Amino acid sequence: MTPLQLLFLGVFGLAAVWFGWRVFRTKSMVRSALSLLAAMVALGGMFLALDAEFLGVLQIMMMAGEMSIMAFFMMMYMMDPGGMSSMNMTHQQRPAAAVGIGAGVLVLALALLTPWPPAQALAPSATQQNHDLGIELMTRSMMIFETAGTSILVAMIAAVATALAYPQQPD
Amino acid sequence: MALTICLSIAAVLFGIGLYGVISQTNLVMIMMGVELMLAAAMLNLVAFWRLLHPHTYALQLFVLVVMTVMALEAAVGFALATQRFRSRGSVEVEEAADLKENA
Repeated sequence: MTPLQLLFLGVFGLAAVWFGWRVFRTKSMVRSALSLLAAMVALGGMFLALDAEFLGVLQIMMMAGEMSIMAFFMMMYMMDPGGMSSMNMTHQQRPAAAVGIGAGVLVLALALLTPWPPAQALAPSATQQNHDLGIELMTRSMMIFETAGTSILVAMIAAVATALAYPQQPD
Repeated sequence: MALTICLSIAAVLFGIGLYGVISQTNLVMIMMGVELMLAAAMLNLVAFWRLLHPHTYALQLFVLVVMTVMALEAAVGFALATQRFRSRGSVEVEEAADLKENA
């Protein structure tokens, strides 16, 4: 890793944490959807700094689509999507903060105290990565890849079946 | 160094996501917390791939699977929100006590 890569890793990481925090700290729901998008794009930037070009670009493209859809759904289903009235959108603040901080500190301690093996200096080039990932997808991990595709199909059918309107039963 | 940076940021993101899942009252906001937690898992996987096993592509495949899970979670979650909004007119979890037994 070059010092420049480390610098970008840190900057994008801090941006991801900041925007991730903003998601739950704003009254406007559209703003929190856009904050989540910014956090995901910062993560994509971290992937790029980690030499994972394909995954980084894929992350940015997928999250751009997903978060804009999320913003639309928020406007449809929220009573107050713009946060114009000061409605309280949270509950059980104190236990939530305790659990969040507790879990974060636990994971952080695990990450810092584990004796990791020394980091590898060089990664394969982007071309080599794409080639090898394709070979991996079509040989050893083919069943996993196919299973992911099938679960997308199942989720699409399940989502449509769940969201369909059905006639109200007279009771 | 780089591994420490990545894992620490992922831990903080995971904590923020967990806080959001527990503290928010709106279904869509809860889903955002779940997305943040999955994103933290993805960051860990990419860091492990790059810094520990750069020639093991099963790790990159694992990242693709987590990305799929994020999309599926959003799709099924929005379907549930749509059905809930149709039948009850709101996706607030505070108003979902009728899902509890004997409520």
